[in-house]
Amino acid sequence: MTRPPQHDITQLLAEWRDGNQSALDELYPLVYDELHRLARRYMSRERKGHTLQTTALINEAYVRLVDQKNVHWANRSHFFAISAQIMRRILIDHARRNAYAKRGGGAQQVSLEEVAAITPNLSRELLRLDEALKSLAEMDPRRGQVVELRYFGGLNNEEIAGVLNISANTVTRDWNMARAWLYQQLSETTAN
Amino acid sequence: MNPERWQQISRIFKSAVSLDPEARNSYVAGQCGSDDSLRAEVEKLIASHQQASEQDFIGGMAAEAAAPLLIIEDEAGPPQRTLNNGQQFGSYVILDALGAGGMGEVYLARDTRLDRTVALKILPRDISTDNKRMQRFRQEAKVASSLNQPNILTVFEFGEVGGLTFLATEFVDGETLRDHLRRKKKLKLVDILDINIQVLAALDAAHEASIVHRDIKPENVMIRRRDHVVKVLDFGLAKVTEKRISNGGEESEAATAFKTAPGIIMGTINYMSPEQAQAGATDQRTDIWSTGVMLYEMVSGKMPFSGVTSSHTIVQILEKDPSPLSKDVPAELERIVLKAMAKDPDERYQTAKDMMIDLRRLKKKLEVQAEIDRTSSPSTERVAIVADRPPMVRGNKRLVFVLVTSMVLVTAAIFAVNIWRSSRQHPAVVTPVPASIEERTLTYWITVQKYKDGKPYQPPFPLAAEINFEASYQIRVHVSSPQTGHLYIFNEGPPTESKQTEFVVVFPSTTANNNSSLIDAGQVVQIPEKTWLEFDKQEGVETLWLVFSKDAVPELETARQYATPKTKNLISDAAQNRVVQNFLSTQSVSKPAYEKGKELSTLKIAGKLLVYPVKLEHH
Repeated sequence: MTRPPQHDITQLLAEWRDGNQSALDELYPLVYDELHRLARRYMSRERKGHTLQTTALINEAYVRLVDQKNVHWANRSHFFAISAQIMRRILIDHARRNAYAKRGGGAQQVSLEEVAAITPNLSRELLRLDEALKSLAEMDPRRGQVVELRYFGGLNNEEIAGVLNISANTVTRDWNMARAWLYQQLSETTAN
Repeated sequence: MNPERWQQISRIFKSAVSLDPEARNSYVAGQCGSDDSLRAEVEKLIASHQQASEQDFIGGMAAEAAAPLLIIEDEAGPPQRTLNNGQQFGSYVILDALGAGGMGEVYLARDTRLDRTVALKILPRDISTDNKRMQRFRQEAKVASSLNQPNILTVFEFGEVGGLTFLATEFVDGETLRDHLRRKKKLKLVDILDINIQVLAALDAAHEASIVHRDIKPENVMIRRRDHVVKVLDFGLAKVTEKRISNGGEESEAATAFKTAPGIIMGTINYMSPEQAQAGATDQRTDIWSTGVMLYEMVSGKMPFSGVTSSHTIVQILEKDPSPLSKDVPAELERIVLKAMAKDPDERYQTAKDMMIDLRRLKKKLEVQAEIDRTSSPSTERVAIVADRPPMVRGNKRLVFVLVTSMVLVTAAIFAVNIWRSSRQHPAVVTPVPASIEERTLTYWITVQKYKDGKPYQPPFPLAAEINFEASYQIRVHVSSPQTGHLYIFNEGPPTESKQTEFVVVFPSTTANNNSSLIDAGQVVQIPEKTWLEFDKQEGVETLWLVFSKDAVPELETARQYATPKTKNLISDAAQNRVVQNFLSTQSVSKPAYEKGKELSTLKIAGKLLVYPVKLEHH
């Protein structure tokens, strides 16, 4: 994969910030590829341990993609906002492909390895959450965004406050309400 | 929900959650006025809020939770199989694939000589071709197996067929502790202690025989579904694979050498002891450390040492003190955990037995405490069996349940008799319930009959609570109460897109309990009475609504009249279905306390009415 010239991304971010929506369409695949590639690398041999820290990953993508000499503070928060969206899509795409993949019919017995411990349940849970989040965003776009930024983007409340230009307290309140509602939606459709 | 309604709920919710529980109720009541449905929705959301924070729902990050998806898809591709179902492999016949990973593939197989079901693990070729390592592994597996300790997975045979080295072990029908944690989100403290005590019992026996596990982690601990007995897997395997990597020379540091097939991260380094991380000499105390890490994780929901990269994690293991456990955790438990995770092996528990004794003592203390807290509740002593009546006829194509009039199995009866027997050994002490305290108690359990290729296999077994059922399982649900009262059971199918929810009256009916909702204290209601429930092809969640009330419930009494043999107990009237639905959704807001025992689940609620949905998910 060839890496896009840095100024393009910086430029596109600036355009998007200034209200050019088509800039987002161009930005999206560039960031998608980079994030996907990084996520895979994080999960492979270079990064052991078992967690995938989204913020670290997005930060790394940001440093790689965006021209550091020409940084505008708002670029970073905008970059995080779309990265959250993209991370969500990457994970949901994977979940969708995995959810119904036949796994030898023995998903309930597990053996000795991590890999065997990955059941389609995880994917289905994620897909259900995604669906519920879509419904939430229809009723209440801002709360939907708070969840996206925090859960998929790995941002903390202060960062989210910065991106959405609201107070951190409002973020906390939004999060409480959104999480309760999502929990309710999911517990109504889940057995466990 | 329309946006105005949502805003209204959101406004009340926002202020309500910032108030303490008492002020909250009156605030919500005041804000909602006479709008009962608004109040119900707000209260439901507040309850969800509490549960979501208790369980730390979506508290982590999506990528963290979903990371395994990225590995499996991108790096591993679809799992590969060396053997196919039905294939003969030595004296084994392959029944199914159970899993695959770096330590080989695992199959469910039938040993044709002894006619028993086993788990068959095929070791990767590069391990099995190293004679020296194989010999040592064989030696360790043999010794571990000869221990014959109930918490150690029994190894039956170690051999070779057509150049493939295999290990035949006892087949455990259950899940790994990792899956268990994932599914349960939060475990009860006594259950956590119980699991760790069993792990330590396994380690104690192994250590006595000078065998060190070296890879204790939730993936290597299985919990048997039937009785929650813990089995520790893979004694002797860790060292073999560890060696394999360092011989391969791919890794710069031995400490991160937990690799399997190219690109797949097999294990995790989070449970590794400081001496392992430094690739130093290890002994049995490394297992004590790992058990401590596991215990910490189970109690707090977090790994004590977890960095962005493996190097960060290792630095933490070597240098960082784990963050203190929450205030609700007994101080004694924190002391035990920290002692197990002392950086210097000399400062740790020196034997698994010592740690086990401390955990046992703590468990006992907690149980005594719980018993004291519970003294006012009545005891369940008498269990009677309902005489079998003609089978209930139902079967609507939309519904997932189809009754099968196959064999009549006596398990449930045997099971009930066993309860009765054990109760006879302890003379019944009936504590009268004080008139001033209204309480409803209901117990239930599920009996599962597994099917394979259309035939029942393995004896039916009881489950305390619902699991994710396989489509081929047939089940029965049993309900009982130590109190007399009115029982109603409704079945609600998985949600359909357009149609309004329709309910099937499962209990009572013309064929169940003589069409009376009144049941006696100790009466066991079995659903279905003579046959079994079978799942439909369509996947989903089937809900069995249990309603247990001191007094007859007029709405439900009326609604169930609409369920007739002609309509196969399906309530065909839309208005009546709405009545039932309203009743269930509003009354299920106050959730009964749920307690899962070894053999049955107990529901308890203060008041005259208990409503609980038993969710039967199947795939």
